Amino acid sequence: MASPLLENLGVATHHATLTMFLALREIRQAKVRFGLLVTAVALLVFLILTQQALQNGLITSFVGALRRQSAPVLVFAVDGQHNLQGSVITPSLEKAIDGVPGVAEAGRIGQGTFTVEVGHGNQSNAALIGYEKSRVGGPDRLSAGRVPSAAGEAVGSSADFALGDRVRVVGARKGPEFVVVGLADNAQIQVTPTLFVSWQDYVAAARAVNPDAATVPPSVIGVRPAAGVTANTLTARINDASEEADALTRQQAAEKAPGVSAVRSSFNLIFLLFALVVPLVTGLFFLIVTLQKARPLTLLRAIGAPASVLVRSLLVQVAIIIGGGIALGTLLYLPLSQAKLGKLSLSFEAGAVVFWAVLLLVLGLVSAIIAARRVLAIDPLEATTGAGAR
Amino acid sequence: MKLALRELRRRPGRFVVATAILALIALLLMVLGGLLDGLVAGSTGALRAQRGQLIVYSSTSQESLVRSRITPAVRHEVEKSAGAGRVAGLGSVQLGARVEGHGPRDLVPVVLFGYELAPRGLPNAVPAAGQVYADSSLKSEGVKEGSTVRLGPARTPVRVIGFLDDSRYSLQGTLWGSLGTWREVLAANRPGERAGQGVDQALVVSVGVADASKEAAMIDRATNGATKTLTVPQAINALPGVSQQQTVFNQIIGITIVIAVVVVGLFFALITVERVGLYGVLKAIGASSGTLFAGVLLQALVVTLIASAVGAASSLALAAAIPEGSIPFVATSSRLLTSTAYLLIAALLGCAFSLRRVLGVDPAAAIGAEQ
Repeated sequence: MASPLLENLGVATHHATLTMFLALREIRQAKVRFGLLVTAVALLVFLILTQQALQNGLITSFVGALRRQSAPVLVFAVDGQHNLQGSVITPSLEKAIDGVPGVAEAGRIGQGTFTVEVGHGNQSNAALIGYEKSRVGGPDRLSAGRVPSAAGEAVGSSADFALGDRVRVVGARKGPEFVVVGLADNAQIQVTPTLFVSWQDYVAAARAVNPDAATVPPSVIGVRPAAGVTANTLTARINDASEEADALTRQQAAEKAPGVSAVRSSFNLIFLLFALVVPLVTGLFFLIVTLQKARPLTLLRAIGAPASVLVRSLLVQVAIIIGGGIALGTLLYLPLSQAKLGKLSLSFEAGAVVFWAVLLLVLGLVSAIIAARRVLAIDPLEATTGAGAR
Repeated sequence: MKLALRELRRRPGRFVVATAILALIALLLMVLGGLLDGLVAGSTGALRAQRGQLIVYSSTSQESLVRSRITPAVRHEVEKSAGAGRVAGLGSVQLGARVEGHGPRDLVPVVLFGYELAPRGLPNAVPAAGQVYADSSLKSEGVKEGSTVRLGPARTPVRVIGFLDDSRYSLQGTLWGSLGTWREVLAANRPGERAGQGVDQALVVSVGVADASKEAAMIDRATNGATKTLTVPQAINALPGVSQQQTVFNQIIGITIVIAVVVVGLFFALITVERVGLYGVLKAIGASSGTLFAGVLLQALVVTLIASAVGAASSLALAAAIPEGSIPFVATSSRLLTSTAYLLIAALLGCAFSLRRVLGVDPAAAIGAEQ
């Protein structure tokens, strides 16, 4: 005679087998119905992941160069409103920054968008970031090549340039020509191919384009704090020292750049709506299916199938459908994530896939609660009266 | 048909979930469309407001207003080519504005335009030096008629003498003054971008014909390639990001419509499966497949219309709730109607999935199945 423990184990195994049998058998019987739902979930997952990649790609292309430059603190003119190209540092502000205690090193950084010719090809746009000192404004990390060591050399954004490219600034006067000697990843600014060049080369480019320019002032001042002074402390000191200064850490400068918060807010609104649609569609589907199955479910209950088995079978189906949708949606997203949309580089983001997979699975299972409650409410006695068919 | 409407009236609960999902999809479509409209309207208003048909840039500017420079000599060639057409200078500069009542670090981003040919909504006479008209969106920042706004690090004062609508540029409010005011503000605040005497950033040409592409080519030939002349719609499309935004958003909207088709298809296919017995009885007493399918279609259209109305009302509420300047969202009637039309088409297509099943109902078998 089997012990109660073994008996319980046997019952549990039997229930688990029954759960899977019911769940899988029904899916096999109604392939089109479940296939349509998997397709809908897959399309939604594909859209969510694509938009997540677009959002991150857009933000990186907007402010990648700010993250990539080496100065831990950037001082904008308050009039620039965190816009590198819109900020103009006056000589008095530059002097005030130099005099702030805790500044170990400060250097000019200029930024502008120019018309260029790459090789002898067509004209296109390029952003130039001119830096006076490589430790406060130059690229902090290269993916290929070397840092510039002479005038006329540049580090280019790796998505747009190749080592050895010759880039000539086109202007009213003959503009300077640069040779790309290094490449940096995620180094675009304002979704434009970007070159890090010396301050002198930047000034030459600005003068070639606009001979009427009286002076070429820096856009921001890059600052490195002295030992023992944090970047946050230094930004506070600089802002206290001058009402014209708007000092930000590198991370703050990237987050507060114009457009970044608007992009985040817009996409978050879209994500919220998509995150609501997925569980609603799944919940509706399983509710209707449960209503349709009322009669066979009542019969199953009448012949001894526990309600827990039927509920588990429902949840297994939800997990299979959403899991299948997530897998299919991710497969659709995979080739797109390797593509380049115009000047925008996308990338496969495993973290986003895991986040959305877990969230949608949880929301999907939660959405099945109404259907599960219908299953639990079935009275086996109704099998004898036909009420289960209602 | 009557039966379908009666079912909707008597058993609305059956359709509530589908209506809720479709309302959410409708809201999604309208939000996506509204974001696109807001982005485009906020970026292109200044160009759409132009009374001329052509914008002339310098050929090396890549159609960027900021980088374009038209010298007096080039302007002279354009004027000769345009003949009786009106040629007017245009300049712009993006600056931070200090508005009365704001804190010392609380600046309002603006674009100052210098013009000779008044944009729509402004009188023909160009304002006197130091006076400007302001885009009405700046009212929410506290700008009033008679306000003095101080521009850029040099705090160049300009006085607001009136307002115009829908002239935003680069998602910023605009100020419109004379070319002289623009040159003065530019030189004082952006020494690196200073424009010499008589130098404009671009020219607006009014040739008096709607399709001015022939005139555009003539101007570029006359200047020997020193200019790149675009029609206003071309200039709008050349603005950074405008055409890319439209492409990406339209693709997302397209896929969302496909999802709506699947949702409607799924829901009504399931409802049809549920009613097979009932359809069998109705067919047995003489109802045609066409009548039965028309009933399903009618229910789908009514559900979609209600969902669209809920979506539209939510979009309008959202537009009212979003603080000015935070998210570029506008809910226009044309966008709400277009989204509703798309959803109705999606409902029609989705219902087509049920057609096969309705046609396949065998009255005898269906009645037998009920016994």
